[in-house]
Amino acid sequence: MAKPVTRREFLKLAVVGAASPWLLACAAKEKEREVNFFNWSKYIGKDTLSGFTKDSGIKVNYEEFADEAEMFAKLRSGARGYDLIIGTDYMIPSLKGLNVIDPYPTGVLTKTGNIDKQFLNTPYDPDNAFTIPYLWGTTGIGYNKKMMPKPPTSWWDLWDEKYSGKISILDNARDCISTGLLLKGLPETTTDEKDFAAVRDLLVKQRPLVKQYSSTQYMDSLVAGELFMAMAWSGDVLQSARENPHLDYVIPKEGSYMWVDNLCLVRGSQHREDTLRLVDYLLEGPVAADIANTVRYATPNAEAKKTLDKDLLKDPRVFPPPKMAKLLKFHSLLEPDIQQLWTDTWEDVKVAG
Amino acid sequence: MLAPATIWLLAFLLLPVASLLAMSLAKRGPYSSVIWTFTWENFARALDHKYLTVLIRTMCYASATTGICLVLGFPFAYFLSFYAGHRRETFLILLMIPFWTSCLVSIYSWIIILGRAGLLNNFLLNLGVISTPLGILNTPFSVILGLVYFYLPFMILPLYSSLEKIPRSYIEASYDLGAGTIQTFSKVTLPLALPGVFAGCILTFVPCIGDFLTAEFLGGPKTYLIGNLVQNQFLMAQDWPFGAALTTILLVSLISGVYFYQKLEAAELERA
Repeated sequence: MAKPVTRREFLKLAVVGAASPWLLACAAKEKEREVNFFNWSKYIGKDTLSGFTKDSGIKVNYEEFADEAEMFAKLRSGARGYDLIIGTDYMIPSLKGLNVIDPYPTGVLTKTGNIDKQFLNTPYDPDNAFTIPYLWGTTGIGYNKKMMPKPPTSWWDLWDEKYSGKISILDNARDCISTGLLLKGLPETTTDEKDFAAVRDLLVKQRPLVKQYSSTQYMDSLVAGELFMAMAWSGDVLQSARENPHLDYVIPKEGSYMWVDNLCLVRGSQHREDTLRLVDYLLEGPVAADIANTVRYATPNAEAKKTLDKDLLKDPRVFPPPKMAKLLKFHSLLEPDIQQLWTDTWEDVKVAG
Repeated sequence: MLAPATIWLLAFLLLPVASLLAMSLAKRGPYSSVIWTFTWENFARALDHKYLTVLIRTMCYASATTGICLVLGFPFAYFLSFYAGHRRETFLILLMIPFWTSCLVSIYSWIIILGRAGLLNNFLLNLGVISTPLGILNTPFSVILGLVYFYLPFMILPLYSSLEKIPRSYIEASYDLGAGTIQTFSKVTLPLALPGVFAGCILTFVPCIGDFLTAEFLGGPKTYLIGNLVQNQFLMAQDWPFGAALTTILLVSLISGVYFYQKLEAAELERA
């Protein structure tokens, strides 16, 4: 015969029973280890994240952005929940200025020794406090060899009326205006409104020839043979070349810009410890090499070069040889009011009649 | 007591609109932050002639889309209402299916169809109609096509419902009184369907004005519309106050447009 349950005992049981899901949830929360990583699209190795989860037991919630402005808008509107983001060198002052990134704690990361010295103590992060370099690349011209038997060599080819309706230009104030300044022989740090007006006129002159202003879609268009040429980022074209072998990439003879994308810690992150573990993992030579092999951008990881695909390492389009490297510059850091001049100038180009 | 409708209005209409207004009077600060002030600067800037071209262009695209939708939609709605018979349900569902598909997916399928190596060009090349692929993508044509494709149901449904409401006895009476097909259509059917025509035009024109996805993916520099301009303020240019001012101007002009139109229509009805 079962022992009868008294009312008091029943109440006790009921309370414990009702509370147990909550208690379980608390226990689970304590144990849940995860990192929320917000990265550029097509910017990681196939097994990078699953490899990390297998190694560490930490789950990675991975989200991609196609446009740095989109990432920036999300962060500045106070979107919570991201732990790790990618910030391009020239954006670091803004990210710092808006207080959305935190410095790395000293002495926690174990693999920072793998970073090529060339990418340390940079103008945008002189004390290596806020950034861990992830990948780097250049801005140049992607083109279709089948349609252009004579490859482009100059930025001015993008102003050639022969190619009207067959070119694409990056939809990015930073890249377009700095190129305009370069072609006009003006310094990137100019604060003179007359210089910006000159660049605006130059870009407006190009506008009737442009099929699309795009920073991501142009890859599909290049692959589909819609375009002869596109102002492009190096790795994007080399990735697309896997789908269309006629695609090639060139750094114009007038010179161009190189940039470094960095791993940055988001302020207010709830998973700092796990995030740092992921950063350490991404710094491991073989991991960094696998990422670079996949996305065809250059790695700032000296250790990774040991296991990098030989053809990638020797590719002058990825790692420009010294003669070509002389043509490449980093973007300058701009004061906020000058940054506004840049965005306003670009807006003027977009709305021009 | 707050009725559910009041709560709904407050939460989903008044609050967002009020914050939009507040944002439109604010100022862009360093690092694209927002400084909460009271300034008309953004509105003054929005009235600059360089943005006016974009606005006029948008009006042209929206009007053209509405016109084409009307020309294509009216015969379809007429057929549905008068001739489709028991197959009506099937046609209505067929009309709605593209509309249920994600807008991005349908835009991408148009990219696949219209591209230089796309289905349409391949078809025409194989037929021998053309010898080199046509550059259809990223032109005004492809944008209008995408807009018409997406907004056609908005036109057909109100047309269909107003045609359905016409008592068939009126049409029979018109024939009995000696009117021909054309006369019956122009003197009886069309005037009675006019509310549907206007509703359809508004339902097509208004969302067309704010559309940016179609122009973004199927268009090029020549098809930069006001929707793209607004989107750019929130993303690329990071100037939320200016974007909010543009949106406010658009919202106010559309609401007053619809309001005056309804006044006009009411007056017309009274006269008749």
